[in-house]
Amino acid sequence: MSDADRPVVLIVEDEPDVAETYRLWLDADYDVRMAHSGDEGLDELDESVDVVLLDRMMPGLSGDEVLERIRDRGLDCRVAMVTAVEPDFDILEMGFDAYLCKPIKSDQLHETVENLLGRSEYDDLLQEYYALVEKQATLEAAKSNAELTESEEYVGVQERIAELQGDLSETLNGIDSDEDFIATLRGLNDLDE
Amino acid sequence: MTYDLSAPLEFDALEDVRPGSNILVSGPAMSGKADLCISMLADGSRRGEGAVVMTTGDRADEVLDDYRTRVEDLDESRVAVVDCRGEGSRSDERTAEGAYVYHVSSPGDLTGIGIGITKGLETLANNGAEEGRFALDSLSTMLTYTDRKTVFKLCHVLSSRFDSAGYVGLFTIDSEAHDDQTIQVIKQAFDGMIEIRDDEGTRQARLLGLAGQPTEWREF
Repeated sequence: MSDADRPVVLIVEDEPDVAETYRLWLDADYDVRMAHSGDEGLDELDESVDVVLLDRMMPGLSGDEVLERIRDRGLDCRVAMVTAVEPDFDILEMGFDAYLCKPIKSDQLHETVENLLGRSEYDDLLQEYYALVEKQATLEAAKSNAELTESEEYVGVQERIAELQGDLSETLNGIDSDEDFIATLRGLNDLDE
Repeated sequence: MTYDLSAPLEFDALEDVRPGSNILVSGPAMSGKADLCISMLADGSRRGEGAVVMTTGDRADEVLDDYRTRVEDLDESRVAVVDCRGEGSRSDERTAEGAYVYHVSSPGDLTGIGIGITKGLETLANNGAEEGRFALDSLSTMLTYTDRKTVFKLCHVLSSRFDSAGYVGLFTIDSEAHDDQTIQVIKQAFDGMIEIRDDEGTRQARLLGLAGQPTEWREF
Protein backbone atom coordinates (compact mmCIF):
# COMPACT_ATOMS: atom_id res chain seq x y z
CA MET A 1 0.00 0.00 0.00
CA SER A 2 1.36 3.42 -0.91
CA ASP A 3 1.69 6.05 1.81
CA ALA A 4 -1.16 8.07 0.37
CA ASP A 5 -3.65 5.22 0.82
CA ARG A 6 -2.64 4.28 4.32
CA PRO A 7 -4.96 5.27 7.15
CA VAL A 8 -3.52 8.05 9.32
CA VAL A 9 -3.13 7.45 13.06
CA LEU A 10 -2.22 10.33 15.35
CA ILE A 11 -0.64 9.43 18.71
CA VAL A 12 -1.03 12.07 21.41
CA GLU A 13 1.11 10.95 24.36
CA ASP A 14 3.37 12.94 26.66
CA GLU A 15 5.71 10.07 27.57
CA PRO A 16 8.22 9.76 24.69
CA ASP A 17 9.09 6.09 25.30
CA VAL A 18 5.46 5.03 25.35
CA ALA A 19 4.67 7.07 22.22
CA GLU A 20 7.66 5.56 20.41
CA THR A 21 6.54 2.03 21.30
CA TYR A 22 3.08 2.64 19.81
CA ARG A 23 4.68 4.11 16.69
CA LEU A 24 6.92 1.07 16.18
CA TRP A 25 3.93 -1.26 16.49
CA LEU A 26 1.78 0.68 14.04
CA ASP A 27 4.35 1.95 11.54
CA ALA A 28 4.12 -1.00 9.16
CA ASP A 29 0.39 -0.62 8.56
CA TYR A 30 -0.44 3.04 9.03
CA ASP A 31 0.83 6.53 8.41
CA VAL A 32 1.71 7.37 12.03
CA ARG A 33 1.97 10.93 13.34
CA MET A 34 3.09 11.96 16.80
CA ALA A 35 2.26 14.74 19.21
CA HIS A 36 3.67 15.08 22.71
CA SER A 37 0.97 17.23 24.25
CA GLY A 38 -2.68 18.10 23.81
CA ASP A 39 -1.80 21.42 22.15
CA GLU A 40 0.58 19.75 19.70
CA GLY A 41 -2.10 17.17 19.02
CA LEU A 42 -4.60 19.85 18.01
CA ASP A 43 -1.98 21.41 15.68
CA GLU A 44 -1.41 18.06 13.99
CA LEU A 45 -5.11 17.38 13.47
CA ASP A 46 -6.70 17.83 10.09
CA GLU A 47 -9.18 16.07 7.79
CA SER A 48 -6.63 13.42 6.85
CA VAL A 49 -6.44 11.92 10.37
CA ASP A 50 -8.55 8.75 10.69
CA VAL A 51 -7.82 7.62 14.23
CA VAL A 52 -6.47 9.48 17.29
CA LEU A 53 -4.92 7.66 20.25
CA LEU A 54 -5.33 10.12 23.06
CA ASP A 55 -3.73 9.83 26.47
CA ARG A 56 -6.23 10.99 29.04
CA MET A 57 -3.79 12.27 31.67
CA MET A 58 -1.36 14.80 30.22
CA PRO A 59 0.14 18.03 31.54
CA GLY A 60 -1.48 21.05 29.88
CA LEU A 61 -4.60 20.21 27.88
CA SER A 62 -6.13 16.94 29.14
CA GLY A 63 -7.44 14.22 26.86
CA ASP A 64 -11.03 15.22 27.66
CA GLU A 65 -10.34 18.82 26.63
CA VAL A 66 -8.64 17.77 23.41
CA LEU A 67 -11.62 15.55 22.58
CA GLU A 68 -14.03 18.40 23.16
CA ARG A 69 -12.09 20.64 20.75
CA ILE A 70 -11.93 17.87 18.14
CA ARG A 71 -15.72 17.50 18.26
CA ASP A 72 -16.17 21.31 18.24
CA ARG A 73 -14.12 21.50 15.06
CA GLY A 74 -16.44 18.92 13.50
CA LEU A 75 -13.63 16.55 12.55
CA ASP A 76 -15.00 13.07 12.01
CA CYS A 77 -11.92 11.16 13.15
CA ARG A 78 -12.31 8.32 15.65
CA VAL A 79 -10.81 8.90 19.07
CA ALA A 80 -9.57 6.15 21.40
CA MET A 81 -8.83 7.20 24.94
CA VAL A 82 -5.80 5.69 26.61
CA THR A 83 -6.37 5.47 30.32
CA ALA A 84 -5.05 3.85 33.48
CA VAL A 85 -8.50 2.91 34.84
CA GLU A 86 -11.24 0.89 33.15
CA PRO A 87 -14.21 3.18 32.45
CA ASP A 88 -17.92 2.41 31.91
CA PHE A 89 -20.18 3.32 28.96
CA ASP A 90 -19.91 6.90 30.24
CA ILE A 91 -16.78 7.41 28.14
CA LEU A 92 -18.90 6.65 25.06
CA GLU A 93 -21.42 9.23 26.25
CA MET A 94 -18.56 11.74 26.56
CA GLY A 95 -17.78 11.28 22.88
CA PHE A 96 -14.85 8.85 22.91
CA ASP A 97 -15.13 5.98 20.45
CA ALA A 98 -13.11 3.43 22.39
CA TYR A 99 -10.73 3.11 25.29
CA LEU A 100 -7.52 1.26 25.95
CA CYS A 101 -6.25 0.48 29.44
CA LYS A 102 -2.55 0.82 30.15
CA PRO A 103 -0.35 -1.14 29.77
CA ILE A 104 -1.37 -1.72 26.17
CA LYS A 105 -0.22 -4.70 24.12
CA SER A 106 0.57 -4.57 20.42
CA ASP A 107 -2.32 -6.79 19.30
CA GLN A 108 -4.80 -4.79 21.40
CA LEU A 109 -3.66 -1.58 19.77
CA HIS A 110 -3.96 -3.03 16.26
CA GLU A 111 -7.37 -4.45 17.05
CA THR A 112 -8.66 -1.12 18.35
CA VAL A 113 -7.38 0.86 15.36
CA GLU A 114 -8.86 -1.69 12.94
CA ASN A 115 -12.17 -1.65 14.80
CA LEU A 116 -12.34 2.16 14.64
CA LEU A 117 -11.55 2.13 10.91
CA GLY A 118 -14.32 -0.47 10.60
CA ARG A 119 -16.77 1.92 12.22
CA SER A 120 -15.95 4.65 9.72
CA GLU A 121 -16.39 2.16 6.90
CA TYR A 122 -19.72 1.03 8.36
CA ASP A 123 -20.99 4.64 8.50
CA ASP A 124 -20.01 5.21 4.88
CA LEU A 125 -21.69 1.98 3.75
CA LEU A 126 -24.85 2.80 5.70
CA GLN A 127 -24.98 6.26 4.14
CA GLU A 128 -24.66 4.81 0.62
CA TYR A 129 -27.22 2.12 1.46
CA TYR A 130 -29.73 4.74 2.62
CA ALA A 131 -29.21 6.87 -0.51
CA LEU A 132 -29.89 3.83 -2.73
CA VAL A 133 -32.96 2.77 -0.77
CA GLU A 134 -34.33 6.29 -1.34
CA LYS A 135 -33.50 6.01 -5.02
CA GLN A 136 -35.22 2.64 -5.25
CA ALA A 137 -38.37 3.99 -3.58
CA THR A 138 -38.41 7.00 -5.90
CA LEU A 139 -38.12 4.83 -9.01
CA GLU A 140 -40.82 2.46 -7.74
CA ALA A 141 -43.19 5.38 -7.19
CA ALA A 142 -42.56 6.82 -10.67
CA LYS A 143 -42.64 3.71 -12.86
CA SER A 144 -44.91 0.72 -13.47
CA ASN A 145 -43.70 -2.81 -12.70
CA ALA A 146 -43.12 -3.46 -16.39
CA GLU A 147 -41.05 -0.30 -16.74
CA LEU A 148 -39.01 -1.20 -13.66
CA THR A 149 -37.96 -4.60 -15.04
CA GLU A 150 -36.84 -2.85 -18.21
CA SER A 151 -34.98 -0.10 -16.35
CA GLU A 152 -31.22 -0.61 -16.25
CA GLU A 153 -30.97 2.02 -13.57
CA TYR A 154 -33.45 0.21 -11.33
CA VAL A 155 -31.78 -3.17 -11.79
CA GLY A 156 -28.41 -1.55 -11.02
CA VAL A 157 -29.75 0.02 -7.84
CA GLN A 158 -31.18 -3.31 -6.70
CA GLU A 159 -27.91 -5.14 -7.33
CA ARG A 160 -25.90 -2.55 -5.43
CA ILE A 161 -28.39 -2.69 -2.51
CA ALA A 162 -27.92 -6.45 -2.28
CA GLU A 163 -24.12 -6.02 -2.30
CA LEU A 164 -24.26 -3.37 0.40
CA GLN A 165 -26.43 -5.58 2.62
CA GLY A 166 -23.69 -8.17 2.48
CA ASP A 167 -20.92 -5.64 3.12
CA LEU A 168 -22.81 -4.12 6.06
CA SER A 169 -23.35 -7.48 7.72
CA GLU A 170 -19.64 -8.27 7.42
CA THR A 171 -18.37 -4.91 8.68
CA LEU A 172 -18.14 -4.85 12.50
CA ASN A 173 -19.51 -8.43 12.36
CA GLY A 174 -23.00 -7.00 12.03
CA ILE A 175 -22.53 -4.88 15.18
CA ASP A 176 -22.00 -7.66 17.68
CA SER A 177 -20.30 -5.56 20.36
CA ASP A 178 -21.99 -3.15 22.77
CA GLU A 179 -19.39 -0.44 22.14
CA ASP A 180 -19.87 -0.59 18.35
CA PHE A 181 -23.63 -0.46 18.83
CA ILE A 182 -23.69 2.57 21.15
CA ALA A 183 -20.98 4.45 19.24
CA THR A 184 -22.76 3.89 15.89
CA LEU A 185 -26.01 5.25 17.31
CA ARG A 186 -24.18 8.21 18.82
CA GLY A 187 -22.72 8.88 15.38
CA LEU A 188 -26.25 9.11 13.93
CA ASN A 189 -27.06 11.75 16.57
CA ASP A 190 -23.96 13.77 15.69
CA LEU A 191 -24.82 13.75 11.98
CA ASP A 192 -28.36 14.77 12.74
CA GLU A 193 -27.37 17.87 14.69
CA MET B 1 -34.38 -22.53 18.41
CA THR B 2 -36.89 -20.32 16.64
CA TYR B 3 -39.55 -17.94 17.93
CA ASP B 4 -43.26 -18.67 17.83
CA LEU B 5 -45.02 -15.34 17.34
CA SER B 6 -48.31 -16.88 16.23
CA ALA B 7 -50.23 -16.74 19.54
CA PRO B 8 -52.04 -13.48 18.75
CA LEU B 9 -51.89 -13.88 14.98
CA GLU B 10 -52.21 -17.33 13.43
CA PHE B 11 -50.00 -17.35 10.37
CA ASP B 12 -47.85 -20.42 9.65
CA ALA B 13 -44.84 -18.25 8.90
CA LEU B 14 -45.05 -16.74 12.39
CA GLU B 15 -44.77 -20.15 14.08
CA ASP B 16 -41.05 -20.50 13.62
CA VAL B 17 -39.40 -17.16 13.13
CA ARG B 18 -35.63 -17.17 12.79
CA PRO B 19 -33.71 -15.43 15.63
CA GLY B 20 -32.51 -12.06 14.39
CA SER B 21 -35.67 -11.35 12.39
CA ASN B 22 -37.02 -7.82 12.56
CA ILE B 23 -40.60 -7.06 11.60
CA LEU B 24 -42.33 -3.76 10.87
CA VAL B 25 -45.92 -3.59 12.14
CA SER B 26 -47.81 -1.04 10.06
CA GLY B 27 -51.39 0.18 10.39
CA PRO B 28 -53.58 3.21 11.02
CA ALA B 29 -53.85 4.87 14.44
CA MET B 30 -55.76 2.87 17.08
CA SER B 31 -55.70 -0.31 15.00
CA GLY B 32 -54.04 -2.43 17.69
CA LYS B 33 -50.42 -2.39 16.49
CA ALA B 34 -48.88 -1.94 19.93
CA ASP B 35 -51.32 -4.41 21.48
CA LEU B 36 -50.32 -7.03 18.90
CA CYS B 37 -46.60 -6.51 19.58
CA ILE B 38 -47.01 -6.61 23.36
CA SER B 39 -49.10 -9.80 23.02
CA MET B 40 -46.23 -11.37 21.10
CA LEU B 41 -43.76 -10.33 23.81
CA ALA B 42 -46.08 -11.56 26.58
CA ASP B 43 -46.27 -14.99 24.95
CA GLY B 44 -42.46 -15.09 24.98
CA SER B 45 -42.40 -14.11 28.66
CA ARG B 46 -44.71 -17.07 29.42
CA ARG B 47 -41.99 -19.25 27.89
CA GLY B 48 -39.29 -17.64 30.05
CA GLU B 49 -37.82 -15.49 27.27
CA GLY B 50 -36.63 -11.94 27.86
CA ALA B 51 -38.74 -8.93 26.87
CA VAL B 52 -37.49 -5.42 26.08
CA VAL B 53 -40.08 -2.72 25.43
CA MET B 54 -39.04 0.65 24.08
CA THR B 55 -41.82 3.19 24.48
CA THR B 56 -42.21 6.71 23.13
CA GLY B 57 -45.80 7.14 24.37
CA ASP B 58 -46.70 5.27 27.55
CA ARG B 59 -44.80 5.67 30.80
CA ALA B 60 -42.65 2.75 31.94
CA ASP B 61 -44.93 2.02 34.91
CA GLU B 62 -47.98 1.97 32.60
CA VAL B 63 -46.21 -0.48 30.31
CA LEU B 64 -45.33 -2.71 33.25
CA ASP B 65 -48.81 -2.54 34.82
CA ASP B 66 -50.33 -3.63 31.53
CA TYR B 67 -47.69 -6.33 31.07
CA ARG B 68 -48.39 -7.85 34.51
CA THR B 69 -52.07 -8.31 33.65
CA ARG B 70 -51.07 -10.29 30.54
CA VAL B 71 -48.61 -12.76 32.03
CA GLU B 72 -49.44 -14.87 35.05
CA ASP B 73 -46.52 -15.34 37.49
CA LEU B 74 -44.37 -13.00 35.45
CA ASP B 75 -40.64 -13.14 36.21
CA GLU B 76 -39.99 -9.41 36.06
CA SER B 77 -36.24 -9.81 36.27
CA ARG B 78 -36.54 -10.78 32.59
CA VAL B 79 -38.37 -7.60 31.58
CA ALA B 80 -36.75 -4.30 30.62
CA VAL B 81 -38.35 -1.03 29.54
CA VAL B 82 -36.56 1.76 27.69
CA ASP B 83 -38.72 4.81 28.36
CA CYS B 84 -38.06 7.50 25.74
CA ARG B 85 -40.73 9.98 26.69
CA GLY B 86 -38.03 12.31 27.88
CA GLU B 87 -38.33 13.69 31.36
CA GLY B 88 -34.92 15.22 31.78
CA SER B 89 -31.65 13.34 31.95
CA ARG B 90 -30.72 9.72 31.42
CA SER B 91 -31.18 7.45 34.43
CA ASP B 92 -32.00 3.88 35.29
CA GLU B 93 -33.83 2.09 38.06
CA ARG B 94 -34.97 -1.33 39.22
CA THR B 95 -38.65 -1.56 40.12
CA ALA B 96 -39.76 -3.20 43.38
CA GLU B 97 -40.93 -6.18 41.31
CA GLY B 98 -37.49 -6.52 39.67
CA ALA B 99 -37.96 -5.06 36.19
CA TYR B 100 -35.17 -2.94 34.71
CA VAL B 101 -36.13 0.55 33.52
CA TYR B 102 -33.93 2.98 31.62
CA HIS B 103 -35.06 6.56 31.03
CA VAL B 104 -33.80 8.28 27.89
CA SER B 105 -33.70 12.08 27.75
CA SER B 106 -35.84 12.30 24.56
CA PRO B 107 -36.93 10.12 21.60
CA GLY B 108 -34.19 11.88 19.62
CA ASP B 109 -31.49 10.81 22.08
CA LEU B 110 -30.08 7.88 20.11
CA THR B 111 -27.02 7.50 22.32
CA GLY B 112 -29.30 7.09 25.34
CA ILE B 113 -31.43 4.59 23.41
CA GLY B 114 -28.28 2.60 22.61
CA ILE B 115 -27.20 2.56 26.24
CA GLY B 116 -30.70 1.68 27.49
CA ILE B 117 -31.10 -1.24 25.10
CA THR B 118 -27.57 -2.47 25.86
CA LYS B 119 -28.10 -2.37 29.62
CA GLY B 120 -31.54 -3.97 29.21
CA LEU B 121 -30.16 -6.86 27.15
CA GLU B 122 -27.30 -7.28 29.60
CA THR B 123 -29.63 -7.36 32.62
CA LEU B 124 -31.89 -9.94 30.99
CA ALA B 125 -28.94 -12.14 30.03
CA ASN B 126 -27.60 -11.94 33.60
CA ASN B 127 -31.00 -13.11 34.81
CA GLY B 128 -30.92 -16.16 32.58
CA ALA B 129 -32.78 -14.93 29.49
CA GLU B 130 -30.47 -15.55 26.54
CA GLU B 131 -33.36 -15.32 24.08
CA GLY B 132 -35.90 -12.59 23.90
CA ARG B 133 -38.24 -10.31 22.04
CA PHE B 134 -38.05 -6.56 21.53
CA ALA B 135 -40.82 -4.09 20.72
CA LEU B 136 -40.51 -0.42 19.75
CA ASP B 137 -43.69 1.68 19.86
CA SER B 138 -43.54 3.78 17.85
CA LEU B 139 -41.34 4.76 14.91
CA SER B 140 -43.90 7.44 14.04
CA THR B 141 -42.95 9.37 17.18
CA MET B 142 -39.27 8.88 16.35
CA LEU B 143 -39.98 10.40 12.93
CA THR B 144 -41.31 13.58 14.55
CA TYR B 145 -38.05 14.02 16.48
CA THR B 146 -35.61 13.22 13.74
CA ASP B 147 -35.57 12.81 9.96
CA ARG B 148 -36.31 9.79 7.77
CA LYS B 149 -32.64 9.17 7.05
CA THR B 150 -31.77 8.94 10.74
CA VAL B 151 -34.76 6.72 11.56
CA PHE B 152 -33.90 4.41 8.65
CA LYS B 153 -30.32 4.10 9.88
CA LEU B 154 -31.52 3.60 13.45
CA CYS B 155 -33.78 0.75 12.30
CA HIS B 156 -30.93 -0.85 10.37
CA VAL B 157 -28.53 -0.63 13.31
CA LEU B 158 -31.11 -1.95 15.81
CA SER B 159 -31.99 -4.79 13.42
CA SER B 160 -28.31 -5.70 13.09
CA ARG B 161 -27.88 -5.65 16.86
CA PHE B 162 -30.90 -7.93 17.43
CA ASP B 163 -29.62 -10.18 14.69
CA SER B 164 -26.30 -10.57 16.56
CA ALA B 165 -28.10 -10.94 19.90
CA GLY B 166 -30.48 -13.59 18.50
CA TYR B 167 -33.56 -11.56 19.43
CA VAL B 168 -36.66 -10.86 17.38
CA GLY B 169 -37.69 -7.22 16.96
CA LEU B 170 -41.13 -5.70 16.36
CA PHE B 171 -41.43 -2.04 15.36
CA THR B 172 -44.73 -0.17 14.99
CA ILE B 173 -45.43 2.62 12.51
CA ASP B 174 -48.61 4.60 11.83
CA SER B 175 -49.27 3.96 8.15
CA GLU B 176 -51.41 7.08 7.78
CA ALA B 177 -49.05 9.52 9.47
CA HIS B 178 -46.37 9.40 6.75
CA ASP B 179 -46.15 9.55 2.97
CA ASP B 180 -45.79 6.37 0.91
CA GLN B 181 -42.12 6.98 0.21
CA THR B 182 -41.33 7.11 3.95
CA ILE B 183 -43.02 3.76 4.57
CA GLN B 184 -41.31 2.25 1.49
CA VAL B 185 -37.90 3.40 2.71
CA ILE B 186 -38.32 2.40 6.37
CA LYS B 187 -39.67 -1.02 5.28
CA GLN B 188 -36.34 -1.80 3.63
CA ALA B 189 -34.64 -1.95 7.06
CA PHE B 190 -36.77 -4.99 8.02
CA ASP B 191 -37.04 -8.68 7.17
CA GLY B 192 -40.81 -8.61 7.00
CA MET B 193 -43.91 -6.58 7.63
CA ILE B 194 -47.27 -7.16 9.29
CA GLU B 195 -49.94 -4.88 7.80
CA ILE B 196 -53.04 -4.11 9.81
CA ARG B 197 -56.29 -2.65 8.53
CA ASP B 198 -59.72 -2.00 9.88
CA ASP B 199 -62.44 -3.55 7.73
CA GLU B 200 -65.88 -2.35 8.84
CA GLY B 201 -65.08 -2.69 12.52
CA THR B 202 -63.01 -5.88 12.36
CA ARG B 203 -59.25 -5.88 12.65
CA GLN B 204 -57.43 -7.72 9.89
CA ALA B 205 -53.77 -8.42 9.32
CA ARG B 206 -51.53 -9.89 6.67
CA LEU B 207 -47.89 -10.84 6.63
CA LEU B 208 -45.43 -9.76 3.94
CA GLY B 209 -41.83 -10.76 3.48
CA LEU B 210 -40.88 -13.40 6.04
CA ALA B 211 -41.99 -16.35 3.94
CA GLY B 212 -42.20 -15.40 0.29
CA GLN B 213 -45.62 -14.37 -0.97
CA PRO B 214 -47.88 -12.03 1.03
CA THR B 215 -50.52 -13.92 3.02
CA GLU B 216 -54.27 -13.35 2.77
CA TRP B 217 -55.90 -10.82 5.08
CA ARG B 218 -57.04 -12.52 8.27
CA GLU B 219 -59.11 -11.33 11.22
CA PHE B 220 -57.46 -11.24 14.61
